[in-house]
Parts: sequence; structure tokens; C-alpha cells
Amino acid sequence: MASPLSNGAERGSLVVVRTVDEVTSETFVRITADGSVTAYNGHVDLGTGIRTALGQIVAEELDVSFARVVVVLGDTADVPNQGATIASETIQITAVPLRKAAAQARHFLIARAAERLELPPSDLKIEDGLVRGHNRSVSYGELIGSEVIRLELADDVQVKAVSDYAIVGQSMPRVDLPAKATGELTFVHDVRVPGMLHGRVVRPPYAGVDAGPFVGTSLIAVDESSVRDVPGLVAVVRIGDFVGVVAEREENAIRAAEQLKVSWRPTPALTDLADVENALRANPSTPRTLIDKGDVDAAISGAAKPMQRTYVWPYQMHASIGPSCAVADFQDGDIRVWSGTQNPHVLRSDLALLIERPESEVEVIRLEAAGCYGRNCADDVSADALLLSRAVGRPVRVQLTREQEHTWEPKGTAQLVDVNGGLDADGGIAAYDLATRYPSNAAPTLALLLTGRISPEPAVLQMGDRTAIPPYDYDHMRVVAHDMPPIVRASWFRGVSALPNTFAHESYIDEAATEAGVDPVEYRLRYLKDPRAVDLVNAVAERAGWTPRPVREEKDGEIVHGRGFAYALYVHSKFPGYGAAWSAWVADVSVNKTTGAVSVTRVVAGQDSGLMINPDGVRHQIQGNVIQSTSRALMEEVSFERGAVAAREWGAYPIIPFPDVPKIDVLMLPRQDLPPLGVGESASVPSAAAIANAIFDATGVRFREPPFTPERILKGLHGEASPAPQALPAPAAPQLSRIWENPFAKRTGIFAAIAAVCTAAIGLGAALLPGRAIAPIARPDAAVYSAATIARGQQLAALGNCAECHTTINGKVNAGGRALQTPFGTIYSSNITPDVETGIGAWSYPAFERAMREGLHRDGRQLYPAFPYTHFARTSNADMQALYAYLISQPAVRATAPANELAFPFNLRPLLAGWNALFHDTKEFKPDPAKSEAWNRGAYLVESLGHCSACHSPRSALGAEQRNAYLAGGFAEGWEAPPLTSLSQAPIAWSEDELFAYLRSGQSRYHGVAAGPMAPVVRDLKALPDQDIRAMAVYLGSFTEAATDAPALAAKLENATKVTIAASTGARLYHGACAVCHEVGGLPLFGSRPSLALNSNLHSATPDNLVQVILHGITEPVSSDLGYMPAFSNSMSDAQVEELVTFLRQQFAPDKAAWTGVRETIARVRSSTH
Amino acid sequence: MTQTPIRLTVNGRIHDVMAERQTPLLYVLRNDLGLNGPKYGCGLGECGTCTVLIDGAAARSCVVPISGCAGRDIVTLEGLGSRDKPDAVQHAFIDEQAAQCGYCLNGMIMTTKALLAINPQPSEQEALAALRYNLCRCGTHVEILRAVMRASGQLAEASD
Ligand code: FES
Ligand code: FES
Repeated sequence: MASPLSNGAERGSLVVVRTVDEVTSETFVRITADGSVTAYNGHVDLGTGIRTALGQIVAEELDVSFARVVVVLGDTADVPNQGATIASETIQITAVPLRKAAAQARHFLIARAAERLELPPSDLKIEDGLVRGHNRSVSYGELIGSEVIRLELADDVQVKAVSDYAIVGQSMPRVDLPAKATGELTFVHDVRVPGMLHGRVVRPPYAGVDAGPFVGTSLIAVDESSVRDVPGLVAVVRIGDFVGVVAEREENAIRAAEQLKVSWRPTPALTDLADVENALRANPSTPRTLIDKGDVDAAISGAAKPMQRTYVWPYQMHASIGPSCAVADFQDGDIRVWSGTQNPHVLRSDLALLIERPESEVEVIRLEAAGCYGRNCADDVSADALLLSRAVGRPVRVQLTREQEHTWEPKGTAQLVDVNGGLDADGGIAAYDLATRYPSNAAPTLALLLTGRISPEPAVLQMGDRTAIPPYDYDHMRVVAHDMPPIVRASWFRGVSALPNTFAHESYIDEAATEAGVDPVEYRLRYLKDPRAVDLVNAVAERAGWTPRPVREEKDGEIVHGRGFAYALYVHSKFPGYGAAWSAWVADVSVNKTTGAVSVTRVVAGQDSGLMINPDGVRHQIQGNVIQSTSRALMEEVSFERGAVAAREWGAYPIIPFPDVPKIDVLMLPRQDLPPLGVGESASVPSAAAIANAIFDATGVRFREPPFTPERILKGLHGEASPAPQALPAPAAPQLSRIWENPFAKRTGIFAAIAAVCTAAIGLGAALLPGRAIAPIARPDAAVYSAATIARGQQLAALGNCAECHTTINGKVNAGGRALQTPFGTIYSSNITPDVETGIGAWSYPAFERAMREGLHRDGRQLYPAFPYTHFARTSNADMQALYAYLISQPAVRATAPANELAFPFNLRPLLAGWNALFHDTKEFKPDPAKSEAWNRGAYLVESLGHCSACHSPRSALGAEQRNAYLAGGFAEGWEAPPLTSLSQAPIAWSEDELFAYLRSGQSRYHGVAAGPMAPVVRDLKALPDQDIRAMAVYLGSFTEAATDAPALAAKLENATKVTIAASTGARLYHGACAVCHEVGGLPLFGSRPSLALNSNLHSATPDNLVQVILHGITEPVSSDLGYMPAFSNSMSDAQVEELVTFLRQQFAPDKAAWTGVRETIARVRSSTH
Repeated sequence: MTQTPIRLTVNGRIHDVMAERQTPLLYVLRNDLGLNGPKYGCGLGECGTCTVLIDGAAARSCVVPISGCAGRDIVTLEGLGSRDKPDAVQHAFIDEQAAQCGYCLNGMIMTTKALLAINPQPSEQEALAALRYNLCRCGTHVEILRAVMRASGQLAEASD
């Protein structure tokens, strides 16, 4: 397809226009002298394929080939203003003038050809724009020539008879797919404008709420200094509650948005949405009677069997797969916005209002976006981009984050439908009195609210009435829509209020049929008067092999099957509206009564869409609607915390995955002789009711509130006391020392005790006080050491992880200054490069050795035991020399570390001498002759420079390793260093081979990957030869009894812990966020695939490491081969992480007690810097 | 801060990229290399829209920093084929009309590519499991599954 032509003057052209006023006209069709055809439509393609269908309509009426037609959608400079693309109107309504315009052009051209060829029009035939007659021909292009022809769109244009259609009604491949399948530019996300910058917005804390006096007035301050270090930062923009950042590079805009410190006023208490039904009942409303027929009140009071029912629909998301994106270029008098909007003209007005410029200065250029199925954040982000572009005077692209799209997209609202009525003595519907509450409006463009350009008073729209009147001809019927403002930000979503209203109609009539003992299809047919409806219902029942079921059959067994029917004529647009396609479903389900899992196994979806422009396109739409609405009925519900939207990623708001998609049998009634109807939504409308009716058929229980999650099904089947799997109560867990974390939190009086002990110890250690200074020397010459010695020293430095503590992030190696958090305060590591003034350049070997063995600075000051000299003391002389040689051979860096920040009494260094006297043994390592050479080698490496037990042993209140608990597990930097002895909680005991694999590669198949502070340790160990790693493995392996048949045990554990259903928030989070990389047997992805059933962290006594990786991810693995893990701290709330952690523990370590204090751990880890 | 360029091989061509090492590959592919195939969907590895092949395996480029890609072979949707010469998988997706909005399409094609590389004739069950963590909101699953079957030359077995 050629690119759209500009609207400028060409050599010659024919246009069909509609004059709006003296200066404005709208073009529908343009044919140019080269024979190409461009069609303009004010609606946009939301992924439904209307571009293709409109092209077919124009090609048909013009008698040109489909390939010749270019369809331009939604560019405000070019296309007619036809309002928003909503309510399945495009084909039904907005295509009408387009069809007429094309037909009008053909009539004009044929008349001209008749003149030119001197033949009567009836003798002429047209084939792809070539008019023929009596062996002569002339093309449209030739007929136009250099003339500029302008036709005013006429009303009474003769369009083609359907029987003459050759292009319309034929299945046509979508014109946009080749580009999309090969990565050509089609999406607004792919727009790149020269000089374009990248923006991100920071949204207020009242997540997803857009009405109330706090909207636009909650910002206190933005601390620009918090992002000063972000490279390429161009601007921080704030207007009211609108906050955004602009940077040269996208990743830096992301970083700035995350890092920016913004303070907000506390949001006042929001409506609690834990109980949607009552929240909606309490929401102020105005009743509007849509129909009142017969005598409803009398009929109800006279009913033989009263039936009062309430149906509750949950909040749901449009959940576009691509978060919204836009590019804006603000130039004086020429403002362009590339947008994925549904309604370019409405957006243009909003943008003009936002920036207080005339509409004529603003052009909205519409590109495709991810499917939206209603109003998502496409307009919001366009306004955001415009504000940021205006602030910096350059084009800016803004991409919303997944979290922002989830949180702020106008939700498909919750809805409450009460039906009162009952059966008369004959089992017929005595009366039908329906009240519906739909708290939703058009969701004003967010920036208008955040900047205070419009009032945050919510508008009340009349949109709860869609399909609110049932399709059944009940004698006594009243329907009232209670119009109400939104509670959280909400706007139309596929099916609008018709889907919940139909859920009520179609559930109620099913319930009535059951009560009456009549087959539900037959019962419906008694009340259906519309012949097309009757035809469809019969056709679908027949196709599905529906067998009459006047009485529900009891089903036995754990898994029960059922089948349900539902029908709808989707009535949309302003009340009373008009119908789109007719739709009916037969759904088959199976329900597992033990787990509560429902699966929709098959759907027969029938539709009468009138003339189908592109039958394949209609089929795809039906299938898409069936899948999406099945997803909505089974699993979709927005979660809230304190009234704000809590679901920020796909684990908290799951949508249907491939394996759960039902088999779909589409039945399309041939109605090519009747006017075309919208097909974008109709097939969704019967969904939930058909499924609920099928679940009833299977279980005998009515479910009146989707989604039909396992929890809800179990509750329905077994009542409140449903056997939800519960974690075992936790026995008292062995308390590991958290001394390196926060000893003061729990231990009262420890402070005084430490001081007293140390003071007492000073007496013992008095002889050591003060350390004598060792004279400085001129910087030693490394040349006196052999290359082999220096190389050996380098390995030893790696073994000792010197650089890890002595280097700041992104700093020069070993130049010191890294802050080490200890329970006693912050210690800054020293510079150990050979700089004479600030490093160890003036240190003689004896001074170095004394520091390493005794913890004394060259000048005699005591060093803090965060520096593990208690281990280094064991280093052999030869190794100590090699290490010295290596360090002094390195480049000198001038750098002074900040002063330590220690609390009294720890700031008194001399006290540490007392500490040394108590806890430090300066003896060199002595091999054990009874053990193998490898063992002794390993012991030496582990205990001396390797200093493994510095982290892996618990520490006393005074920060000393507990000698009687060697390698029994400890804590470092907020991470648990698990026990390496028989106390290990690993489900498969460590073997020498697994220790070797882990220390060598950072990964053990049976334990997981090295993360946190262990990752740099393993990375450093790369410098050591295999032999040394093997020796360490031999030594460490000697503390445990290796598992005998690890592979079999692993398989057993993995099989026993397979996650088959998602029956809790935690399980859903796992499915959405974790399983893609952690599920056993999943498609191999780049990186490793740690098995959670075997992972030590899930079996540990404390949840710390698990919480660490969930919140902070793994950004620096031992090697890139292991892959990376994203951080979820910005995507999940504490409550969600707690649910997830609790689930993971219960699922993957079922023999272990539930963790206690998970919430506190999450809070602590979240606030830590790692 | 001084930066050393990171060398990436993408679709057979070498690029020296000046960006911080932690930058997710996705942004470099899109912004520095001007590629449209990989798309931002979640940034958390959850949805699959950003999928590329790294050393032949499917990779979620939103969670892989460029530092982890040096010396590796990266292929994006553009590297498979073009409109005139689509790769077999792209061809199958076009033939089956396996997209509505098409935002998920990149991930579906790239994941299928990775699947077929290790399992040239997957069963329907295997295909469903392999695509389990690629999300599609439009409900194009039926057409996508058919496309996988077509691409692996076993459409006859695909049930409607
Ligand atoms: S964007 Fe990468 S997986 Fe969603
Ligand atoms: S086609 Fe739209 S998300 Fe898959």
C-alpha cells in the first residue's frame, strides 16, 4: 500500500467533500490523475481491521481494485470529524458517507466517460478504474486529467446493489499485517522525530482516582537535586499535580522518574472498594426510568414465586498490551501530536484547552496503538507529551510505564444490577424490575485535571443504559438506570454497560427457567419476538447440539461438566440507541470441585452481523471477543488497596493465557442482503452469563458475581468455610543472629552491655594500646617482585574480595570510600591503592602485614573488624607478600574516604583493642595432618583470605563470629548467608560437585544462583584456578552429608510442587511474574532457569533472600550466562509481595513452616539500599 | 562519566553503542538502532512483547542489560525477513492473519522462532505451553496457534 497522499494540490484530482462552514470542509474520497484513490475516515483502526473493511467498501463503490485504495484514518488535518471510535459504529454509521462519496465519484466519472466515449452509460463497464465500451476505454486518471474537480457530498446517492458486490463480502487479508509482522513503522510507539527527547511522567499517589478536591492540588514539592546526577537530563516539569522529566536518552528519563523525590500531601480516605456492591449502593445517583410497562408493582406482589436477585460486576481493565505512548512537537503556531487516540478530534480540543491555544494550531496525527477496546491512556499520554514538549521546546516522546497504564487507565467500571420479579403461576416471568448502577464517565484527559485546567468535579453521564432493557418481551417490565459519577477513574470498555446488564438479563432468565422447570433455550424463545433473534438462537443451539434440559441433572465426581446458553442484541450509543450484531453463545465448562478451577472448554458463538464486509475479519473479531470476554469472566478483577488501584502488573491483573483458551466454533449467519452491523463488541456480550449458566449446570450453584475464580467457586460450593489451603502454623524458628543488620531493634540494653564488656576488656588488652606507628617509606618499587608473584597476589586479592569493599560503585578500583553499614554505624573503606598520601603507598611490608594480621593501621590506629583481619591473619607469609606485591604494583589513586559515622562507644577505636583481646586469634593457619591435601588447601583458602565464615557464621552481640557455630549461617548486607553445615535448609544437601559448580559458575542446578553479596564473591573467584575452587568445595563439602540421589530427589520435589491452578493472589502473582523464567520445563529463555522447588532461599529459615531478589532483582549476576532478574519493588505493593512470598514458601517448600514476620522483612528490605 | 562503547551484534551487523552498561537492550535496539520489532510492554519480563533472540534463545530484552549482550548474537524481528522476503514464521503469521492490533506480534513470532529451533514440530500442547507467557489482549490466540502449526508445516493437524 502506498503511503497516504498529502492533502495539497496535485496535478489533477477529484475530491468528494462536505462543506462544514466557509473555511472548513472535509474530504471523504480523493482520486488523483495517476489513478490512486485515498479514502478518509474520522474513525481509527483499533486493531479490528476496519482499515481493510473501509478500503473494501470504497473499492467496491468506485469499481477499483482493493489494492488501489489507501485509507487514511484519524489525522485531524485530513480526515472528517466523526467523533470517537466507539460503540462499534464505524461500519454501521461512519462508513455511510464514505460509501456514498465513492459512489458519487463513480457516477460522476462514468457520466464523463460516457461523454468522452460517446456511448450511453449503460454500455459502459468499469474494471479497476478503467471504463470500457465498444473496444474503447478511458481510465479514471485520464478522465480527471489536470482538472481539479470538487464534488459536494450529496445525500441521495445511488449506491450499488448488494447483489452486484464483488469486493465487499469477500474475505480480504488485512492490509496492515505484513508491515506489523516485519517491524515496519506502524505504531505510535515507533514514531521518531529528529531531535526527539524522551519523557516520563510521575503520577500522584491517589492511584487511579480522578475526582475529588485533592486532584490537582496534592503536590507539595519536587526536589530537583535528587536527579542532578542523571546524565542528559533536560528538564523537570511540574504544573499542579502534573510532574514529568525529560532526558536525552530514554533509560535516563526512566531513571530520573524513578529517582525524583516528590512530596505529596496525604490523600484523604478514598472509597473502600473491598465491598464493591455496597460502595456502588452508597454512591449518589439519579434514577432515570428507561421503560415502565404494565403494572410492575402489582405483578411483583402477585407473583407466585418471587425472585429477587443481585448481580455484581467487578472493576476491570482494558489492559492494552502496549502501555500508551505519544510524541509531541510544540512549535509556535504549529503543534503536532502523534497519538494512538480513539478520538483525534476530541483530543485536539482537549489539547488546545490544555495549552490555551486555538485548535487550528494543533494537528493530531493518528497512528496505530496496542488494542484498547475502549478508552485507555492514549489521550492522557498525548497531553503529557505536549506539556513536556512545550516545556523544553523540542519534540518529546512519552511512554507510560506498565504500572502507570494499569493504575491510571480509566477502568471498565464495576456495575451493580438488581432485578426484582418472579414467576407467575404458569412458570412465566411475572414481572421484571431492573435497576442498574454504572459509575463511569468519559474520563477527562488526565493532564487537564492534574494541571487544574478543568475542575475535578466528576461528570455524570448517561451510559449505564446500554442494553439495559432486556431483549425479552415481558408484560410487566421496568428498567431504571441510576446515573452516577465514577468512584475511581472509569470509562467505556468493550460492551460498556451492556455486558454487565446482559449478565443480569441472561442469568435471571436462566434462573427463572430452572425454577419453572423449562429448558432454558425454549424458555427464552417464549419471550423473543425478533425473528432474527429467534433464527440465531435456534441456529446456535443446533450447531452446539443442544439437548433440552428442563431439569438440571445432578453430576458426580470431582470434575463436573456443564453447558450454558446466553443471547444478546447489543444495543449501543445514546439511549435508546440501536443494535449492533446479534450474538448467542453456548459455553461448555468443567469445574473441579476440589480446587475450584473452572475451565471453559468450548464455545459455540453465533452471530448475525448483517452484511459482512470482510467475513474473515468478522470471524477474527468474534474469536477475539470470545477469548477476551472469557478471560474477563473467569479471572479479571482490579484489586484496590485503601481505595487506590493496587494492580500494577500482569501478576496482579492476569489475563487468559494460551492453554486456557477455549475451543471456539464460530457460526456466522449469512445475511449479505441486510445492512452491515458493527462486530467489534457483540460477541463479548453474552459471555459471562453463558459461562455462569454453564457453571450452574455443572455444579447446581448460581454465581452472580464474576470473575469465577477458584476461590469464589469454592466459596460458592462450600460456603464461607471453604477449604482454602492454609499454611501450617509456624513453630518458633531458630533465631539467627542479625547482628550485622540491626542489633538494637530487638535487644534492649545491648548498648550498655557492649560498652561494659569492651571497657572491661581494655584492662586485658592494655599492653596493645596504643599501637605504635610504623614509619612511612617512600613508595615501594613493585619491580622487585616477580610477575608470577604479582599474578598470584592478584588471585589472592580476588579471593579476599578486596576490591568489593574497597571500591565504590562506578569508582576506581581499590580507591576506597565505599560505605559499609554495620550495626555500629557507617564505616567507609580505605584507599588501598599505592597512593602515598591517601592510600598505602607509604606502607612498608611490615606495616601491611601488621594491618592484615592485627587490624592496626600503619599509624597505630585500630581498624574496625568490618575489615576481616581475623581471617586474614591466617594467611601464609608467602601469600601475604604476594598480595602486598600485587597491591603496590597497581596504579595509585588519590582519594580520601569520608570519616566514619559511628555511634558512641564504637567511635572509640581503643575499645577495639579490648575486642581483639577477646575475639582475635592472630595465629597463622595450621594444616590438619589427618586430612587430605585438598581439604587442607580448601580450609586454608576458606578460612584465611576467603573469609567465608565472616558472613556464613552467626555473630555475637559484639559482632564477633561465634566459634561454636562455625559456618552455621549468618547475615550480611541484609542478605542471609545460609548455613554451610548440616544446619543447611537446602532440600537437597550440598555435595562437593555442586559446591564446585556453584563457586565456579555462580549456579547450582540443585540450589539456585548466587545473588546479593555472594555474586561478586563468585565473580572474584574466577581469578582462582579450578584446583583451588575444587579444594574449597572439598573442604566445605566436608561439613555436610551429600544427598545420595540428587537427580531423583530433584525430580520428585519438582513434580510434587507443580503449580497447576492459580487459586490465590500469591499464585496469580507467581504465574504472572515468576513462572515465565522459573517454571520447570518451560521454554528455554536466555539465562538460567532456577527451579524454585530446589532453591535454598525458599527453604531457608528466613524470607530475607527471597524478598531481596523479588524487590531488587538480580542486576549483576556472576555472569551474563545466568541471565537477569527484574526488580519488582516499583510494581508490587508490600501486601502483594507478602502474598507472593507466602505462596512461594507454601508451594515450593511445603514441608517447611510458614515464615513469620514477612511483612516486616519486606519493609526492612524495601528501605535498605541494596 | 566516561563510557566505553559496548559492542553489539544485531541482525548480523556490528554496532558500538554508547550507553550505560545497565541499559536494557530493548531501549538500545529501539532508540540507538532504530528498530521497531521489539516493543515495550511491561519492562518486567512478564508479557513477551520485547522478545528478541540472543544466541538463538528467546530473550526478553526489557530485562537484559546491554552489558550482558556483548559478544552475543542478537536477532530481532527485522532480522528474520522483510515484507518482500518474509521468513517462514512471519509468512505463516501473515497467512493466518494472526494479529488484531499486532502489538504482541513481535513476541509471538520471535518466541515461535525460538521454539521451532529446538522443537521443529511441536504438538499443539507444546506450542500452547511455549507461548504460555506471551500475552495477547486482542484474543488472537486461535490464529496464532494456527500460525505456529503452519510455520512448522503441520497445519493439517491443527484443529480449528
Ligand atoms: S516488555 Fe519485556 S516482557 Fe514485557
Ligand atoms: S493482537 Fe493485539 S495484543 Fe495480540
